[in-house]
Amino acid sequence: MADSTWTRNERELLQPAPRKKWQFLLAAALLVVAVVFVAFNALNAGGTQLYLTVEEYLEKEPELADRDVRIAGWVVGDSIEYTQIDAENSMLTFDVVDDLANPTQRIKVYAKNEPKPDLLQHEAQALVEGRAGAPGEFVSNPGGLLLKCPTRYEEADGEPSY
Amino acid sequence: MFADLGNASVYLALVATLYSVVVMGVAQWVPAIQPSTKAKLVSSGRNAAIAVFPLIVLSCVILTLALVNDDYSINYVRQVTSRATPIQFKITALWGGQAGSLLLWNLFLAGFLAAAWISKSEERDLIPYAVIIGGLTQTYFLYLSAFPENPFAPAASVALDGNGLSPLLRHPLMIIHPPMLYLGYTGFVVPYCFAMAALLAGRLDDSWIRTTRRWTLTAWLFLSLGLILGGRWAYDVLGWGGYWEWDPVENVAFIPWLTGTAFLHSVMIQEKRGMFKVWNVILILTTYLTVIYGTFIVRTGLLASVHAFAQSDIQWGFLVFVGFMLLFSIGVAVWRAPELRSENYLESLLSREAAFLANNFIILAITVIIFLFTNFALVSEWITCSALFSSFDCQSYGVGPDTYNAALGPLFAALLLLMGVAPMTMWYKTSIQRLGSQSLWPAVAATVFAIALVIGGMRQIGAVIGLWVVAFSLLLTLLEYVKGAQARVKSKQEGWLTALGKLFQRNQRRYGGYFIHLGVLVMAAGIIGTEFFQAEHQVFLNVGDRATLGDYTIEYLGTSFTQSEDTNSAIGSVAVYDQDGTFLTNLQPHTDIFDNGQGMTIPDARSTIAEDFYVILVNWENISATSATIRMYLNPLIQWVWSGGVIFIIGTLIAAWPDEMDEKIAAAERRVALATVNNR
Repeated sequence: MADSTWTRNERELLQPAPRKKWQFLLAAALLVVAVVFVAFNALNAGGTQLYLTVEEYLEKEPELADRDVRIAGWVVGDSIEYTQIDAENSMLTFDVVDDLANPTQRIKVYAKNEPKPDLLQHEAQALVEGRAGAPGEFVSNPGGLLLKCPTRYEEADGEPSY
Repeated sequence: MFADLGNASVYLALVATLYSVVVMGVAQWVPAIQPSTKAKLVSSGRNAAIAVFPLIVLSCVILTLALVNDDYSINYVRQVTSRATPIQFKITALWGGQAGSLLLWNLFLAGFLAAAWISKSEERDLIPYAVIIGGLTQTYFLYLSAFPENPFAPAASVALDGNGLSPLLRHPLMIIHPPMLYLGYTGFVVPYCFAMAALLAGRLDDSWIRTTRRWTLTAWLFLSLGLILGGRWAYDVLGWGGYWEWDPVENVAFIPWLTGTAFLHSVMIQEKRGMFKVWNVILILTTYLTVIYGTFIVRTGLLASVHAFAQSDIQWGFLVFVGFMLLFSIGVAVWRAPELRSENYLESLLSREAAFLANNFIILAITVIIFLFTNFALVSEWITCSALFSSFDCQSYGVGPDTYNAALGPLFAALLLLMGVAPMTMWYKTSIQRLGSQSLWPAVAATVFAIALVIGGMRQIGAVIGLWVVAFSLLLTLLEYVKGAQARVKSKQEGWLTALGKLFQRNQRRYGGYFIHLGVLVMAAGIIGTEFFQAEHQVFLNVGDRATLGDYTIEYLGTSFTQSEDTNSAIGSVAVYDQDGTFLTNLQPHTDIFDNGQGMTIPDARSTIAEDFYVILVNWENISATSATIRMYLNPLIQWVWSGGVIFIIGTLIAAWPDEMDEKIAAAERRVALATVNNR
């Protein structure tokens, strides 16, 4: 054992004085407090997003004014529209549903001045960060339109993943 | 026929792995076995463990042949390729889906383990335990490839063509990025095996830590490459002008990189002063467990991510496996903890040891915050939906990129500061005067630089502080080279270039490490530039129309259309001018539409060391060739991110290169340790 190469006396000689132990403990405690403060401060400042499915969003819609929300749903292909309003402004709209086979409840998503993502197509899964608009409508934040990137793994059929 | 052969090789690999685990277990823990029998069993178990690699190579070759030959009787082939897919992408489709990429994961793991079992003849006493630990991991992943995620599973119906590979994967960087990540992930299993083996065998000297450090550095290199290439791919292909989004899949690859980084730093204290032994064990275990956790997250789709996953039924199996390895690791570490006492103690807060400890603490804090934020949705749902908190509305909450940046920005700044200051500290104790005198001029120079930025119009306080820290640490790091070379110039009468070269030669770990720091600092400058100063503008233009962003003006020249084997392309053309109206370049952003209807928008950019002017063609299909919607991005210092990445990788290669002196020390330590264990 490497430990056996040190005698008790040698170890004691190298042991810090109690005052120094306090210094280390105090420094460690201050660091912990600083990190906790930074994390909580960030959560307060940046806020948290409410993650909702289409059904959950429509249920809670009246309570969601000015709340940062992320909705998840399947894109209905024939609802996708891209309109160039004028030289500076465009509007991308599409519907999302929880169940493509039974699309009774749907949300219309509005994304202003956003490029149409390559993956925005029928049956794509959309994650949209934004805020409630008119009833049944959702306004995407700038850059808040996220389509699931089919990197390496094929998407199985099923519910959106919330 | 092909599929049967592939299947057989996967099953055989699973059987060989199980055999090696059982045989090694019997050899190590059944007391009545004769030494000669034990030696035979160990040899047999080791050979079986090594044989796993060629068996998985065979199954990968068979699957690749099936992909190239359009064998649509195999379900996986049907899912990820089509007849029109170019041959190079048929080959890379091996990792284009869940089952194939898991097989590749198994291949890399088996390769690393086989290399470790072959090359580590000097760690002979640790090999049996290490084979058992590595075998347990390999067994689980081979089980996945053999059963729930079998890449050779037959297709349910006859098909003449396949679905084709996702167009986003048809990019050179995507050929390299996933394998690098897998190599990083699987490479971290080897140091875990040796760490656990050392604990199980009671070989608690420092030689295993040297062996572990080399393997960790190798895995860390690959994971670094995977992360950098992934960012570059996102920048080049996804067309949003960014490279990192704090997405769960990105985060779970970053977490083991962070813990691996902490280990690579703290291991130096164990080597130099025999301290932090328990801490180093914890870091190695954590790195391994976060690798498995990351794989679990990626493979099960448990967390909402912009990356798509197969939401298969392997969640519970993964949970059981992760839980078992977690408890096993903790159990072994706790059992041996009393024997891992430090040989020394921290003597001063101003010492190299304390600087390393602070480095570890900050990295750990970053890791914990990323882990908590990544899992925030799961944890919040679990808490609010549990019976204990019935007063809460059952709900899931997530954390966005702004919150990550706000929480981690100060911690990364502290880490960068430490990167510059720590090399100035001495072992045992450093005087405040020494630190002050060495850092005075770099601090003055960095402050002058920051004041110049403010006078130049920079008003974002976060960016000014960040760039001050980068400049300060960069100067301190460069001074380390200057001081080292200067000493050689004086003492050895060498020229400056020779002295600098010898510095790397004589102490490649130290000066390679500083080179890594330089890379990180250059990357940090680039990240600050893009995070604080990125600008964008989207505009609709007719041919001949102009639009401006920053100092750049573009003129839309038109869109042309081309057709190739399986792709239709719309190629926009814009001329770029500077603020004086001088022509700079033509850019050709384009959109490719593949036979399966999927599209891929490819940006084009004018890159300089100061910034990228990055342009994409938006929504081309609804417009005529005489008008287009163009989106422009101005990405300041983005090239610094990629250049820093290259410096970082070069530094890692220098630090990881086999060091003759290091090998000799490790061999000597092994001899002493073996003698100590044998004499007990």
